[in-house]
Amino acid sequence: MIDMIEKEDPIISEEEAAQYDRQIRLWGLDAQKRLRGSRVLLAGLGGLGAEVAKNLILAGVKGLTLLDHEQVSEESCRAQFLVPVTAQGQNRAQASLERAQNLNPMVEVHADSTRVEDKPDDFFLQFDAVCLTGCSRDLMVRVDQLCSQRNIKVFCGDVYGYYGYMFSNLGKEHNYVEEKPKLVKPTENSNDGPEAKKAKVDPNETTMVKKTASFCALKEALEVDWTTEKAKAAMKRTPVDYFLLHVLLKFRTDKGRDPDPQSFAEDSQLLKQIRDDVLEALAVSSDLLSDDFTSYCFSEMSPVCAVVGGVLGQEVVKALSQRDPPHRNFFFFDGRKGNGVVDYFGPN
Amino acid sequence: MVQLVGPLRKELADSLSTCKVLVVGAGGIGCELLKNLVLTGFKNIEVIDLDTIDVSNLNRQFLFQKKHVGKSKAQVAKESALQFCPTANITAYHDSIMNPDYNVEFFRQFVLVMNALDNRAARNHVNRMCLAADIPLIESGTAGYLGQVTVIKKGMTECYECQPKPTQKTFPGCTIRNTPSEPIHCIVWAKYLFNQLFGEEDADQEVSPDTADPEAAWNPEDATARATASEKDGDVKRVSTKEWARSTGYDPVKLFNKLFKDDIMYLLTMDKLWKKRKAPTPLDWLQLENTACPQDEAPGSGLKDQQVLSVWGLCQMFQHSVETLRSQLQEKGEGAELVWDKDDPPAMDFVTSAANLRMHIFSMNMKSRFDVKSMAGNIIPAIATTNAVIAGLIVLEGLKILSGEIESCRTIFLNKCPNLRKKLLVPCILDPPSANCYVCVSKPEVTVKLNVHKTMVLSLQDRILKERFGMVAPDVQIEDGKGTILISSEEGETDANNNKFLSDFGIRNGSRLQVDDFLQDYTLLVNVLHTEELERDVEFEVVGEAPDKAPPPQTNQEEVNSITNGNKDSAQPSTSSKAAPADDDDDIMIVDSDEEEMAASSSAAAATSGTKRKHSDAETGETSTKRPRTDQSSAAAADNDDDDDIIALD
Repeated sequence: MIDMIEKEDPIISEEEAAQYDRQIRLWGLDAQKRLRGSRVLLAGLGGLGAEVAKNLILAGVKGLTLLDHEQVSEESCRAQFLVPVTAQGQNRAQASLERAQNLNPMVEVHADSTRVEDKPDDFFLQFDAVCLTGCSRDLMVRVDQLCSQRNIKVFCGDVYGYYGYMFSNLGKEHNYVEEKPKLVKPTENSNDGPEAKKAKVDPNETTMVKKTASFCALKEALEVDWTTEKAKAAMKRTPVDYFLLHVLLKFRTDKGRDPDPQSFAEDSQLLKQIRDDVLEALAVSSDLLSDDFTSYCFSEMSPVCAVVGGVLGQEVVKALSQRDPPHRNFFFFDGRKGNGVVDYFGPN
Repeated sequence: MVQLVGPLRKELADSLSTCKVLVVGAGGIGCELLKNLVLTGFKNIEVIDLDTIDVSNLNRQFLFQKKHVGKSKAQVAKESALQFCPTANITAYHDSIMNPDYNVEFFRQFVLVMNALDNRAARNHVNRMCLAADIPLIESGTAGYLGQVTVIKKGMTECYECQPKPTQKTFPGCTIRNTPSEPIHCIVWAKYLFNQLFGEEDADQEVSPDTADPEAAWNPEDATARATASEKDGDVKRVSTKEWARSTGYDPVKLFNKLFKDDIMYLLTMDKLWKKRKAPTPLDWLQLENTACPQDEAPGSGLKDQQVLSVWGLCQMFQHSVETLRSQLQEKGEGAELVWDKDDPPAMDFVTSAANLRMHIFSMNMKSRFDVKSMAGNIIPAIATTNAVIAGLIVLEGLKILSGEIESCRTIFLNKCPNLRKKLLVPCILDPPSANCYVCVSKPEVTVKLNVHKTMVLSLQDRILKERFGMVAPDVQIEDGKGTILISSEEGETDANNNKFLSDFGIRNGSRLQVDDFLQDYTLLVNVLHTEELERDVEFEVVGEAPDKAPPPQTNQEEVNSITNGNKDSAQPSTSSKAAPADDDDDIMIVDSDEEEMAASSSAAAATSGTKRKHSDAETGETSTKRPRTDQSSAAAADNDDDDDIIALD
C-alpha cells in the first residue's frame, strides 16, 4: 500500500548515500526512502522485462520478484542481457536471478517460475506495484482490477518489433508532490545577500506542491466507444498505436504467442486479418493501419525495449516515490519515427 | 518477400555483423549503448574511455559492480558486454580520444561513431575528426530527466559547432574577492583559496581584497592610483598567499583570522563598497570558541551531509581540513601541489567550511556540504532510465544510417513531461550546415579582438586556440609574407616564443594568422582586431558573438541543450574567470511546437521558450520556433560536471 509505506528505517546508510548520490540529488532523499520501502512484482522476463528489472533494481527498491514460467530459448539469450548464454532450458526468471541481483546487492531479488495465470489473488496483494509484460489481455484486466482496488499500482507494457507501449493505473486517487520554484519576495532583512532585494525565481529555493491524479481501469481504457460523436472528433489526434495495440493483443490471445519471425508469412497474413476484424469491431476506419506495420512488429527490438523500459521504469519510480506528475495513462513509442506519445484513453 | 532475422530485415542484420562502430565514452550512456549494440546484433565494436569506475557511477552504469571500483571503464564495460554475446568482437581503449594516435585514419575504419561523452572539448574534437574522415556521428547527452540525440553528417547536417554554445558563467574578480552576493561566489572563492594555499597558484584566482576595484574608489583617479599602487607595493598582495601560509606553518587559527577577520576588516575600510550593500561582519576565532553551544549540532534523520552546520562546527571543519591537507602536502614533498577533487574528503571539507564561513560573514544563508558539493563539483544528477532511453534512440538512429536512410534521421528530445501535442519524445528535422560555422565551412575564418601588446603567445595557444576554438595541437603561421612560425605543435620547438607578446612578432590590427590542427585536419584563419578597451577580466572577444560574461537570453531549450551537453567544458575548473566557457549543457533544441500552441500554452510542462531558429516538426513539416522549456528539473540548474556521461547534445 503506497500511502502506508513507512520509511521503516529512516536512516540512509553511508553505502546507500554514496551509491545513490546522483539520483538523490535529482529526486531527493524522501523519494529514495520510499523506493527503499517498496516491493514490486515484475511478470515476464523478455527484452522489456529485463530492462524494467534493471531500472528498478538500480533505483533501489526494497524487493523485486521476477515471475516467469517460460524456459530460456536460444532466442532469449539474444533478446535480453540477464540470461547467460549457457542457460538454455532453464526457467527464465531463475536464469535471470544472478545477474539481476548483482546489479544492486541492496535489493532483495526473488525468482518465481509459476505461471502468472495460476497465481491466486492474494499473491498480488503483497506488492506495492505490479508490472506485467508479455501477458494476455484477460490476465492484465483481471490483475488490474484486483490490484487497483487495493491501492496497488498497476503497470503493463509490451514491445512488438519497433513498437512498444506502457499503461498505468495508479488508482482513483493517486497522491504525489511536485517541486516548483519558489518566487522569492523582496524582504527587508533578506538572508540571502543584498541581491535578494529583488523578487525573482530562485532556482535554489523550491516548494513542494501536493497534487492528486485519477486513473481508470485497463478494461475501461481498452473498451472506449468509438461510435460517439466526441470520439469521432477526437480521432484526428488519436495515436494509431492504440489500435495497433488492440490488434497485437488479439493476436496474442488467439495464438497464445506473439508474431514469430520463423512463421513470418503466415503471421503477417493473420495480422492483417485481425487488423480488419478489430478495426471493424471498433467501428473505425480500416485505413488507420496500413499493411506495412506487419513487417515491423516481430520480435522484441533491443533499443525499443530500452526506450519503453526506461519510460516504464521511471513511471514505476515516480508512483512508488509519489513524486512528479505521472504520465496518464498510456505511452506509445514508434521506433521507426522516434515518436513517443502520452495519451489518455478511458472515461472522462 | 521480406525476410527477417529476429526483428530486423535480413539485409540490415547482415550489415550489422560486418560493420565496425566506435563508442566514445563508457559511462552512463556508454554502458546502455554497448548493451543495446550487442543485443541488436552489432558484432564489431570499439569503445574508448579515459576514466575509472567510481562508486557514484553504480546507480546507472550497470555494466559495473562494486568490485570494479577503480578499474578502467572501457575495459570492464567490454568484459561485461561480452557476457551477453561472447562472439562479439569488442576492443576497449583506456585512453583519451584526443590522443593523436586516434587520427583520421583511425576514424575512417568505422561506418558510424557514437558519442557518449560528458564534456565539450571532447565533443568538439570528435566532431572535427568525423568531419575530416567524413563518417556519420551520432551525438547525445542527458542531464537528470532530460536528454537528446542528434545526427551529424558532413555536408548534410549542422556539425556540433555550427551553433554557438552558451559558455559557462564566470564572475568578475571583484565580486569574488570583495563583494560576493550569492553562495556560488563564496564557493568559487573557496576553491581559489584551495589552489592558492595547496595547489597551483594562479594569477586569475586571487582571494585577497581587490584594492583596484573601481567601485571602491570615490573618484576615478583614485582607482588608477590604487591599481598602480597595489601592483607596485602589492600591499595586500606583497607576499603570495602560499608563502604567507607556509611562514605560519599553515596554522589554521592564524589562517582563519587572516581570511575571516583581518581581510574582512580591510574590506570594511573600502567604505564606498558598503554604501548600498550590507557590510560584511568579521569573525574572531576565540570569540566563536567561547560562545559555541553543543546543542547546535543536533543530528537529523537525513543524510549527514545535508545538514547545515553551526558556525563553530564549520570552524572546526576548517581547522581539521587544513591540518589534513597540510600533511598531504608535506607527504608529497618539496614543491608539491594538490589538485582539488570533490571526492577527496578533506578537500571537500575545506571548501565547504571556507565557503560557508564567507557566506556567514556576508549575511547569506549557509549551505550543507551536500549542496556545496553540487555547486563546487559541478555535479549533474543522473539516473539509469534517462540514459536507457537515449541509448535506445541512438541505436535506432544508427540503424537508419546503416539502412541507407540517413534522410529519415532526426534530432530527438526527451522531455520530462509531454508537450502540448502529447509528445514525450520529440523528433525534429535535422538542420543543414550553418554558413557561418567556423569549423565545417570550406574556408573557416574568425575575427578575434585582443590587445596585441598584452597578449602572450602562450595565451593565444592555450586560452584562445585550444580552449575557445577547441584545437588540440595548433600550428600557427603569421600571414606576413615570410610565413613566420609563431607556434609549432612539435614539443619544445617554439617554447621561446611563449612569453613574448604578439606585437613582438609584428602582429597588429588587421594581421592574419593561419592556424592548423593537423590531427583534426582543420585550418582556421584568424583575423586579429587590436583593441585597448576590453572589459575587466576579459582577455579576448570573438567578434560576432555575445561576450562570455553575459550569455544571450536563452530559450529554455538552449539551456536544456547546454545542460545535457555535459558539465565540463575543458580541463579548466569551471570557476576560473578566464576559463573557456564550460558548458555542461548540451544544446538541446527542442523544436516542435506550433505557433498557436505555444501562445496558448501556459503550462510549465509544455511551454518552452524558443529561439529564433526555425525547425520543422518532423511529422507535419510545419515550421515552428523553438521555445525554451520551463519544466527543467531543478537539478538542471547545476552546471557541474559529473564524471558521468552527460548527455545532451550539449
